Order: sequence, then structure tokens, then C-alpha cells
Amino acid sequence: METLALTLLGFFAAGYFVLGGADIGTGMLLARLGRNDAERRLVLASFAPFFLGNEVWLIATAGLLIGAFPTLEGELLTGQFLVVLPLLTGWVVRDAGLWLRGRTGGRGWRTVCDAAVVGGSWAVALSWGWLLCALFTGTPDRVATGPVAVLCALAVASLFAVHGLGFAALRLTGAPYERARRLVGRGGPWQSFALTSVLMAAVVVSAGAGLPWAASAADGATLSLLVPALLVVTALLVVVQAWMWHAFRKRVTRPSYL
Amino acid sequence: MHDLVARHLLAQAPPVPDPETVDLARLQFALTAGGHFLFVALTLGLALVVACLQTRATFSRSALHARMVRFWGQLYVINYAVGIVTGIVMEFQFGMSWNGLTHYAGNVFGAPLAVETVAAFFVESTFLGLWIFGWHRFNRWAHLAMIWVVTLTALLSAYWILVANGFLNHPVGHAEEGGRLVLADAGALMTNPSTLLAFGHILGGALLTAGFFVAGVSAYHLFRRTPEWEFFGKSLRIGVFLALPALLVTAAFGGVQFAELASLQPMKSAVFSQEAADMARLQAELTARFGPGDYVPSEAWTRGGGLTMLISFALMLYLGIGNVVLASVRTTLYRFRLWHLLLMASVPLPYLAMISGWIFREAGRQPWVVYGLLKTEDAVSGLSPGAMRASLITFTVLFALLIAVNWWLLLRCARRGPVDAGLGHDDREDAEEHTHGSAAPLPLARY
Repeated sequence: METLALTLLGFFAAGYFVLGGADIGTGMLLARLGRNDAERRLVLASFAPFFLGNEVWLIATAGLLIGAFPTLEGELLTGQFLVVLPLLTGWVVRDAGLWLRGRTGGRGWRTVCDAAVVGGSWAVALSWGWLLCALFTGTPDRVATGPVAVLCALAVASLFAVHGLGFAALRLTGAPYERARRLVGRGGPWQSFALTSVLMAAVVVSAGAGLPWAASAADGATLSLLVPALLVVTALLVVVQAWMWHAFRKRVTRPSYL
Repeated sequence: MHDLVARHLLAQAPPVPDPETVDLARLQFALTAGGHFLFVALTLGLALVVACLQTRATFSRSALHARMVRFWGQLYVINYAVGIVTGIVMEFQFGMSWNGLTHYAGNVFGAPLAVETVAAFFVESTFLGLWIFGWHRFNRWAHLAMIWVVTLTALLSAYWILVANGFLNHPVGHAEEGGRLVLADAGALMTNPSTLLAFGHILGGALLTAGFFVAGVSAYHLFRRTPEWEFFGKSLRIGVFLALPALLVTAAFGGVQFAELASLQPMKSAVFSQEAADMARLQAELTARFGPGDYVPSEAWTRGGGLTMLISFALMLYLGIGNVVLASVRTTLYRFRLWHLLLMASVPLPYLAMISGWIFREAGRQPWVVYGLLKTEDAVSGLSPGAMRASLITFTVLFALLIAVNWWLLLRCARRGPVDAGLGHDDREDAEEHTHGSAAPLPLARY
């Protein structure tokens, strides 16, 4: 059961990094890809129907962590308190910017929201790099410091950005598409996106591999109820999410609700 | 290296937290959970209203109801979005500031949270995305099914959160093994009376909040005599006719919970009724059972919360009955402007009742985080007061801003009335950039 729980956890975490990472990365490049208000709305439309469904992969990761590995969840989040703080703040600010940008007409308001999306996305990506650094260096109980932490944060954030760029090149049209396409470079956007997807999943799974899972798993009675139920729901969810991606698969040519 | 990390992380006794950290962590939890709860109150109720309106619109093809779905749905989505982002903080807060709770009770307390995130919230978010962005893209029956999935999983979400909360208030279905709790009876955990009664109570409260909100917004338009008199006359009736039965359901579940308190949490009951003799007796009993300590919760918060809730209930009951009478008569419905003002002014009342009832429930069970098993002060993470203060300030400022922005946008959109922008707007017709300021009125026969 522990192995199953851990596999499911890895699946959720990798799902978040690949799917959520794509819209976070695109958000980081919002100002670079969209030069005016209409273009920026188009960039947002590229991931608009997906971002809520993408970020819940992380909510599910955290939920499974507290359900199946409660002790580790507590120790990890407390140990990384000062990293999780900017991560959550960035996430909240970014989402508020996304959701509320289109709800009123003022140009000033939309500029504030664009700044919230870009700043929030960067804060999330950098915090992930910082947090993963502590896992890679084998010190999950304390915040990583020093040049290694800075380098790791920048490297992971760049990976998010490149991943988002590939996604944008696959989803956009018009001037923002041209910009994304130029930045992707000679390799095609599909190759670039596939490569960054593998890297994103590999980064989070390998970072988590060093944690003491077996020693912190929940009691057998809890796991034997929790894991089978979640497996069934997860299978259904993957089908629904696949359907959602299929329904909105076309490149975006006009702004959407956001 | 794994062993080293494991020893470091898990074997070590949790450090004793600074008393200041305890206070700051409690304050942060109270403010963030309270803030989040107020968003949920409206979201949960409004979701049901929107789902029912869309059902009506889909079956009857009524243009008026289709417009109602889009207008009330727009307000619902704004409130929902800000509610989600505040909820994100809640989920991580347990591990960040309360790892004593996950250490001791994680086997039991973690499971409902895990089920909530995957089986309820994950499904809800996926379908909400489909509903918002799938207007004009899916056929209307599929689109109707989507809002119902969102609504039902939102209720499921509330249920699972209350399984976790019910366990904290009245632990059942557990056993203690080696200084930690394990799950002994999942059925007992899921049918905990503290969960089921609270669920009925919250569901009623959410519908009550939505009823007063819908009535208040509609009253604004009738008061201003905007052209949408038919739209808002009908909406006002929906709000008013929903609020009164919802209030009675809420009160019924509340009454049963009050009666149960005497056996489940006698100290809360004694503090609320100011029975000094009972309080002294219980204090002595609890000291004998659990060792020295203060087992009396804050009287100001417990009694204050309880009384505020009861007073706002009484006010809403009188208002609710009067509202139903006045809304039934056509003349008063459209012309009694003083009453319209009163309806607008009473939108905050359910919020006041919800938050004070919640304070009564949570402050009144102190000093316990898991009643009779784990004290709040023993559940806090071993963090420095400085780190805790930083997060308290960050989240308080963030939440205050979000609440302000949420209400600013809600009122703006409510005041503007049903215009053809935002939710459900058919973007296939946009050749050029759409400007929100000059949005046309919602067309009649389009859905």
C-alpha cells in the first residue's frame, strides 16, 4: 500500500510540474510575449481553461501527503516554512491576478493584475527551485542557503520559463506566437515542450526520492482505505482532464473569460 | 543518507514551541480560516442557486432564466475564485504551523483531508473550468451537468472538511497506539454526529447567506428603478423565499447541536450559560483526568460568539418573515423603497451569524485542538516567533486585500447589472478586442 501511495504521490507531483508548470512558465513570460493589453489577454487565454485544473494537481499532492505520509508532511512544511511562505504568497497573488483581471474595465487595474501574474509566477517558480534544493542536498528539515540555493532556484525557474515558452508556442497565434516561436529557437516547439516536460517530471520525482517515505507512512488501516479509493477517483479524473484538453485543444485566436 | 535524514526528521522529539509562537499561530489560523469560511459561505449557497437557475433555464429555454444564470454565475465565480486562493493557504497551514497535530493525529485527521482534495476539490475545479470556459462550446445538457458536478462536489468538499473538523471537536473512530492515533472505525469517523449536524447547519447557513445576498443585490436595482425590474423582481423573490426556509433548517441543526453540547463538550455549554458551579466542577474533573491546566475556554469569545449568533438569528427570523410577506405582494415588491434599503443593509447579517457561530464552536473547545486528546499548545510546530510573525503579517495583509478586492468587484458587477460581458459571453463574436466598459445589455434570447 505504501508503494502504491508513493507512486500515486509521484504521479500527482509530476502532473503538477508538467501541467501546472506550463501555465506558470507562460505566466512568467506574459510581459515578454504580449506587448499590449489585447496580446496579453491572448497569452492568458492560451492556458485559461486549464490552469485551475492544473494547479489542483498540487492540491492533490499536498492532500495525499497529509493523508498517507502525515508525519513527513508536517516536518517538511515546517522545515521549509520560510520557502513555502513565498511559494503560497506567489500562488495566491498570481491566481488573484488571473481570475480578477478581466472583471473590470480599467487599464490601471489590468496592469496591476498583469504584474501580479508575472510576479506571482516568478515567485512560485523560484520558491520551487529553492525548496527542491533543500531536498536535493538532503536537508529537508531546514531551508537551503548559500550560492547553491541561488543557483538551484534560478535553474529551476529557468526550466519553468522554457517549459512555459514551449507551451505558449504550441497554443498561441499571431504576434505572441511569433515571439514565442523565435525564443524557442531552431528545435520545434513540440520537441522543446516534450523535453522540458520530461525534465520537469524528473526534477520533482528525483528530488522527492531521497525522503524517508517508508518511515513516515500512515498506519496500514488508513492506507488500505485511502489508497484504493483515491486510485479509482484518479483514474476518472485523468479521463475527464484528458477530455478537457481535447475540448480546448485548438490554438487560441481570441481572448477568453480571463 | 536516507537513515540519517529519517532520524533527523522523524525520530527527534518535536521542539517545545515558544508561547508567543502558539499565540501567533492561533491568531493566524483564526484569521485565515475565518476569512476563507466567509467566502465559502456564499460560494456554497450561490452554487446551488445558480445550478437550480440553469436547470430551469435548460428545461424551459427561458431567456430570462438564462440571463439570471450568467449574472448570478458571474458573481459566484468572482467569489469562488477568491475563495479558492484563500483555501490554498489553509491546506498547507496544518503542516506548516501545526505539525504536532499531523504527528499525533495524522493517521485519522489526514485521511478526510486527502479524500477532500482528490475526490472533491480536484473534480470540482476540473468541472468548474469546463463550465466557465465551455459556454457555447458544449451542448446545453452537458453544460448543465457540469454545474451540477461542481455544486455536488462542493458539498462533498464541505462534508469531508467537516469530517476532519468534527473529529477535532468530538474524536471518534480512533485508537491510540504507541502515543499516536490510528484509524479504528472509518464508519464512525464518517458518521460522527459532530460532523453530520455541523454539515446540515453549514449547508443551511450557506443557503441563507446566498438568499440574503441575492435579495440585497436585487433590492439595489429595484431601489434604483433600473430597467431590469422583471429580472430583479424575480431574483429578489428567489432570495427571500430561499432565505426563510434556509434559516429554519440552520436553526434546527443549530438547536440539536446546542442540545448535544451538554454531553459532547460540557465545558463549552457551562461557559456559555455562565454556570460558575458547573465550570468549577468540570475544571476540577478535567484537572484530575488530564493533569493541571486551565480547561476553561475564553468566556468573552465563547459567550460573545454564541450570543452574537443568537441575536443575528433572531433579527434574521423577524426580517425573513416580513420579507416573505412583502415580496409576495406585487406593489411592495417593486415600490417599497425603504424595505429595499433594509434588504441591502441586511446582507452582512448571515455573515455575522456564520462567523460568530464558528467562533463559538472553535474558541469554545479550547484548550483542545483534538478534544480531550491533544492540547492546542502541544500541536504547534517548533518555529521561532519571528518566522510565525512574518507569515501572520503576510497572510493577514494578503487576505485583507483579497476580501477588499472581492467585495469591490462583487459590488461593481452587481451594480452594473446583467451586461453582456464576462461569464457566458460568446467570444466567437469578438472580431476585435472587447471593451468591458461599453458592454451591451445581456441579449434576451441567447444562452
